Amino acid sequence: MLVADKIEKRIENTALKIGRYEFTSRLFVGTGKYPSMEIMKDALEASGAEVVTVAVRRVKINETTSLLDYIDTKRYKILPNTAGCYSAEEAIRTARLAREAGMSDMIKLEVLGDEKTLLPDPVETLKATEVLVKEGFTVLVYTSDDPIIARKLEDAGATSVMPAGAPIGSGQGILNKNNIRIILESAKVPIIVDAGVGTASDVSLAMELGCEGVLLNTGIALAKDPVCMAKAMKLACEAGRLAFLSGRIPKRLYAKASSPEKDF
Amino acid sequence: MRVTLNGETRECPEGTTIERLLDLYKIDKSRIAVELNLHIVPRKELSARMLRDADVLEVVTFVGGG
Repeated sequence: MLVADKIEKRIENTALKIGRYEFTSRLFVGTGKYPSMEIMKDALEASGAEVVTVAVRRVKINETTSLLDYIDTKRYKILPNTAGCYSAEEAIRTARLAREAGMSDMIKLEVLGDEKTLLPDPVETLKATEVLVKEGFTVLVYTSDDPIIARKLEDAGATSVMPAGAPIGSGQGILNKNNIRIILESAKVPIIVDAGVGTASDVSLAMELGCEGVLLNTGIALAKDPVCMAKAMKLACEAGRLAFLSGRIPKRLYAKASSPEKDF
Repeated sequence: MRVTLNGETRECPEGTTIERLLDLYKIDKSRIAVELNLHIVPRKELSARMLRDADVLEVVTFVGGG
């Protein structure tokens, strides 16, 4: 078997399972804020993503083009979000509408605390998770990087818990990797870092820590060249995943020579 | 009679169904969800459900988001 095939097999054998769905790509990409629909379409392709997030909004009367004209729904699994909701009640309503629109029973649940920080409201998020799980949704829940609330969301039946690396759209990367590590240590559902990713190394770090995936939007959409950045994120995701699977060396305080030190 | 469609008041004749109203405003029915007075109307009921005066309709679809 070719070396490249062996590596491919290693990646394929450890596919990402989200409830009853299975994905090879571990990069989930958003569809907001691109300079144009054409650039978005190309960026999605370059990212290799199999799951793309969308938001739910009122239909504008007389608008002729739709986002979904630019997304091949046979190729991409649509993951609607509850962005813009500030209470469990609003988020539940949005999730039900999203399911009725007929794309998926998957929902990216996000219930935010306020408009300035866009940080999750953990209390409302937990309430909404409990209700949506009972209603049969596949709930991928956006949350802060707090290990206790992450555990409670898992206990409430979330299919995936998605802690923020940093505030939405901030591009600050993973601010508290220790919290992510603590979440990973006890989690039995896939942990996907969602939000705050600025560049490729942020994605790689998340994957090296052992996260099951990364969800991002702004880092690609607002890059000067979104299509090339999408490819960079794809490579980083694969690099980080392989590094995790390969088992990194422990960090040492002192040097350890790579070449023989004697017999010369 | 008058109904509210996505926050705006619209006139329509008595006996108008939801589907008829959507057609009137050229709304593509394949990618939407409809809420009538805060209750979701299943897709298959759109053609049968008659509107009444003062009904409030919300019609949503998918837009770009993260």
